[in-house]
Amino acid sequence: MEAVEYFEVECPEKAGGDYYRRIADVVLLDHNLIRVVLKLHIFIDPKVPLFVAGGVTRKLPGIIRLRDFADLNIQERKVTISIGNEAYLAPLLQILWKKYGKDNVEQPDRFTIILYLDEDESRSLEDLPVFDPSESIYKDLIYALQVIQPEGFKVRRQYYGNGRFYLVASEDTLPEDIEDIVRQKFSLMGESL
Amino acid sequence: MILVPVTYKGGIYRHDEIIDLIEDLGGYIIQKHMIAQEVVLQALVPKDDIELIRKVGKPLTGELTLSPLVGTEIAVVTPSLEIHHLPHASCDIAEYIRRFGAKTNMVGLARGFGKRIAQLNDEERDVINEHDLAVYLLGDFETCIEKKFPVLRRGIVVPIVLCGGPPTDALKAIIDPPVDGYVGSIGRFMHRTKESEEISRLDDVVEEITRVLDKKREEMAKDPLSISPARLMDIISEKIDEIHEVLSPTPITVQMGGLRVKLPYDTFGPVLRKTEIDEGVTVGDLAEVFPSRMRDYILIRIKPFSETNLVI
Repeated sequence: MEAVEYFEVECPEKAGGDYYRRIADVVLLDHNLIRVVLKLHIFIDPKVPLFVAGGVTRKLPGIIRLRDFADLNIQERKVTISIGNEAYLAPLLQILWKKYGKDNVEQPDRFTIILYLDEDESRSLEDLPVFDPSESIYKDLIYALQVIQPEGFKVRRQYYGNGRFYLVASEDTLPEDIEDIVRQKFSLMGESL
Repeated sequence: MILVPVTYKGGIYRHDEIIDLIEDLGGYIIQKHMIAQEVVLQALVPKDDIELIRKVGKPLTGELTLSPLVGTEIAVVTPSLEIHHLPHASCDIAEYIRRFGAKTNMVGLARGFGKRIAQLNDEERDVINEHDLAVYLLGDFETCIEKKFPVLRRGIVVPIVLCGGPPTDALKAIIDPPVDGYVGSIGRFMHRTKESEEISRLDDVVEEITRVLDKKREEMAKDPLSISPARLMDIISEKIDEIHEVLSPTPITVQMGGLRVKLPYDTFGPVLRKTEIDEGVTVGDLAEVFPSRMRDYILIRIKPFSETNLVI
């Protein structure tokens, strides 16, 4: 975990804490998330029982817009989109179908989409936000934390956004002051929620 | 004649000679694997003839090793079959025990996870009790093991070997009443066991299982079985033709005190009971034939000498 600036596992049982340190390390590595996480603090108290994992992410890649992966050719009302990277084709089609209706979106082959639009619309098309990678990274991160946590902790609360994320989980109802506990763990990292 | 459990590994060429030899000497082939050009035989052979088999096998590049767990069926019990325990920990251990000749079955509990919410249902209990031994693989925290283990062991009558993250002494201290075996420092982990230290932990598990089973064998030797399970397996595979159509790797699984026959109970239970072993003695005389809780298999429990006054 050299890539992570701060990584602590806090646990009243020392042996158990050491095992979970290794588990967290392996899981984040397996899920290719080690480069995403800047700081991570895990707190496990098997007596309560309570699992808190909170952390800070590195700067994530920005929103992918249409011009990032496709070329636009506008001839009067006819707009031809040539796809360069197929990875974002599916989300793009979903957006276009929703916006203009399936009947108005022609796709003669896999890499070409033809639309008939007004001038105003076709000008703004280049900046159309298609895909937000941070969303899926946060989802992956929360999933990885669920793999790390002791099994059977079915009561969960999670949060992500603004470079921060946390997951708290327990077998029983979460304590009312759970957000204070999370804040306290963030302050240990020198961060605030 | 004392039979010793062994594994024979060798080339496929002329391996039938080894099989014939073992059978002629009065031994039994428990399981035969063919892997590409290699044959692995798990067998019980007479103690005095081990050297002879080694000698015959040498020109065929055969290798004979003692495998203390041949002829046993072991349940590897994990709190669930979720990613938290699979594939590492559970599979690594189950697979490692298999290398020593045991037939292991993985039992993933439906609601075995959690500390307060862990449960064991009657089907799981009965399935575990059909084995010779149960290996429980629990987690890393003492507090959790202490709280949940009494629930998970409820109604289990077979010997238990408990594996968990805390050191062996800590496990011994928290389990009351004691179980038959403990292996510490092998709890939940998410990586493959590759390092020598981790492999030695797996060796500890095998050692502990062997110790517990040896103790069970000693107990059983005081009142020997009316017929050896391996011999009964031979008789069944000779007399019941349908067993050869079963595609499972071990159509008849040998246990220490009985057999699991992978044929439907409703059709073959009565047939099995009436199968003759020797003149006038049937399987029903020497053993109890039950429906197994595992699928629709048949479970045979061989009665001890004290009940039948017969040893064949």
